[in-house]
Amino acid sequence: MAAVTLTNVVKRFGIFEVVHGANIDIADGEFVVFVGPSGCGKSTLLRMIAGLEDISGGDIAIGGKVMNDVEPADRGIAMVFQSYALYPHMTVEQNLSFGLRMNGNPKADTERRVKRAAEILRIDELMQRRPKQLSGGQRQRVAIGRAIVREPQVFLFDEPLSNLDAELRVQMRVEISRLHKELGVTMIYVTHDQTEAMTLADRIVVLKAGNVEQIGAPLDLYDDPANRFVAGFIGSPKMNFLSAKVVETTNSAAIIELAHHGGARLRKPLCETFPAVGAEVVLGVRPEHFFEAGEGDCDIPVKADVAEHLGSVSYVYANAGPEELIVEREASRQRGSGDHFTVSIKAERALLFDKAGARIR
Amino acid sequence: MRTQNATAYRFLTPYLLIFAIFWIWPIISSFIISFQATRTVPWRFAPTFNWGRLIGDPAFYNALKNTLLILVIQVPVMIALAIVMAVLLNSPLLKARGLYRFAFFAPVVVGEVAYSAVFRLMFSLDFGIVNKLLESVGISKIDWFSNVTPAMALIMIAVTWRWAGYNAIIILAGLQSIPEDVYEAATLDRVSRVKQFFYITLPLLKPVIVFCAVLSIIGTMQLFTEPFLITERGGPGGGTETLGLLLYRQGFRSLNFGYASAVAYTMAGLAIAITLVQLWLMREPK
Ligand SMILES: Nc1ncnc2c1ncn2[C@@H]1O[C@H](COP(=O)(O)OP(=O)(O)OP(=O)(O)O)[C@@H](O)[C@H]1O
Ligand SMILES: [Mg+2]
Repeated sequence: MAAVTLTNVVKRFGIFEVVHGANIDIADGEFVVFVGPSGCGKSTLLRMIAGLEDISGGDIAIGGKVMNDVEPADRGIAMVFQSYALYPHMTVEQNLSFGLRMNGNPKADTERRVKRAAEILRIDELMQRRPKQLSGGQRQRVAIGRAIVREPQVFLFDEPLSNLDAELRVQMRVEISRLHKELGVTMIYVTHDQTEAMTLADRIVVLKAGNVEQIGAPLDLYDDPANRFVAGFIGSPKMNFLSAKVVETTNSAAIIELAHHGGARLRKPLCETFPAVGAEVVLGVRPEHFFEAGEGDCDIPVKADVAEHLGSVSYVYANAGPEELIVEREASRQRGSGDHFTVSIKAERALLFDKAGARIR
Repeated sequence: MRTQNATAYRFLTPYLLIFAIFWIWPIISSFIISFQATRTVPWRFAPTFNWGRLIGDPAFYNALKNTLLILVIQVPVMIALAIVMAVLLNSPLLKARGLYRFAFFAPVVVGEVAYSAVFRLMFSLDFGIVNKLLESVGISKIDWFSNVTPAMALIMIAVTWRWAGYNAIIILAGLQSIPEDVYEAATLDRVSRVKQFFYITLPLLKPVIVFCAVLSIIGTMQLFTEPFLITERGGPGGGTETLGLLLYRQGFRSLNFGYASAVAYTMAGLAIAITLVQLWLMREPK
């Protein structure tokens, strides 16, 4: 059992700095997901924790011990690679036992561990096959099995499900969740799929271009994002962003006016960081927070462009002036292209960001 | 036949004709000739004339022994060397990789006569750099050309020099096709570099190594240039005469085509047999 602590971790490839001082605290037994767009440094961070990449600056501690100069095999971690990285010439059984055999682990213990991993992952039937003779999902199980056999304190997963089809992905996601409960160990999981992050994580670390943007529980990130990037990244479909301007401030509140919607105005409570009158701001509204006309604080007329009917809900892609909005509607399956309707925004359900993307609250 | 195919075959006809006349026919013809007595005019069918002689010919057994000796010693040494060279070439620590790759491959494109002449010079008794080097470390100089054992060693050294780099380049391609993350997984499994080489790299290279071995075996079975040019027609006294050389001597110096054809078929048969045994030994376990 081990906590993982990253303190001011920096990674440079030559002159390129790709991770700029990451501070992340992961509690013992926690399931933490690193999420972010492609190239943001998720894999690099994970590989530094694993010891596969040198650390250019800062410290990485596992179980309270600084691991910067400790060999990968001595860090008490196991890693599951995106490409599985199975030994192609070995059977499943040999793949699972290879590390233990090479290190002179007692035979009986090796057998016990392999058997247990096979049971947990339900791959007993496949033990004599080679990776080539397995499906993608089965390979992934074997890769996870190889990690389990090491009985690590920390599991590292680098986009383990990205090579699987949608259905299998959901299934494996549930299995990984179950595995976490069963083993109770710390897991760090890298993905660029925010749905995976939302469903698996105890806490999510959102990364962007080598910076930690926000760390928090999935719903906290959803309800209370620290900035526009996190607001836009977490949630599917994405949050809508509407340009606006501060037009008036009183003692306790500010009035902001939407730029493209006929002078529609909203009143937001004032706070210390509130920009001055005249400043441009961005209003963030989630698709499910567009209410029926008149229910909110200001109404805006829109014209439906495309509607996606998923059954339980529909997403209407609508044009409102130059802005395209995604509106969630539970009831209206009929809404089709060209329809005009009105949506309403509630001030307390709208987030405000300044021009640089920082949250105003 | 579709017109498209017919057109294609019309374009291929010149090549196929040449192929038939200069490749297929000689193969068939030499098979027939190997059953003919070719020292009399006209040639006549006499199945035991050549094949019977072959079975009892000490010169044949000498050439066979020499060829197999070179095969058994030189091929494994060269392949092992090629693997080492390939691993070094693949090392991320290596600078100027392209230069080394070129240097390793260069011997293949050097003209045979030039290369043989240089080897004769390097190994010459009194002026050769090799003997000078040996003497400088206190080993008495070796007469490479007048004694059988050094002469055989010289042949093996020369062949190895010429082909090791070629094989190394092929093996390098195999090395580069092994994904890096397999080694990373092994590192996490606490498997040392050396063990990674023996338990991961070598098994995964097996198909490439078998390929190189088969090529080398076929090449060595036909070995001709080195004993012809470097040790001067299989000298000393037939001590380095190979099957290829025997074939040449019988066919083109004694104009005994029937016997030469029998030798040629023996060489081909042996190469096929050894290759099959090799493939069988190295087969993928079920
Ligand atoms: N060996 C390397 N040399 C130089 N730059 C590298 C190296 N590895 C990664 N990078 C750079 O570091 C940055 C982060 O890469 P990383 O692989 O961590 O991204 P990622 O978040 O995992 O992306 P993805 O979702 O596409 O896997 C990228 O800009 C990448 O170009
Ligand atoms: Mg990655």
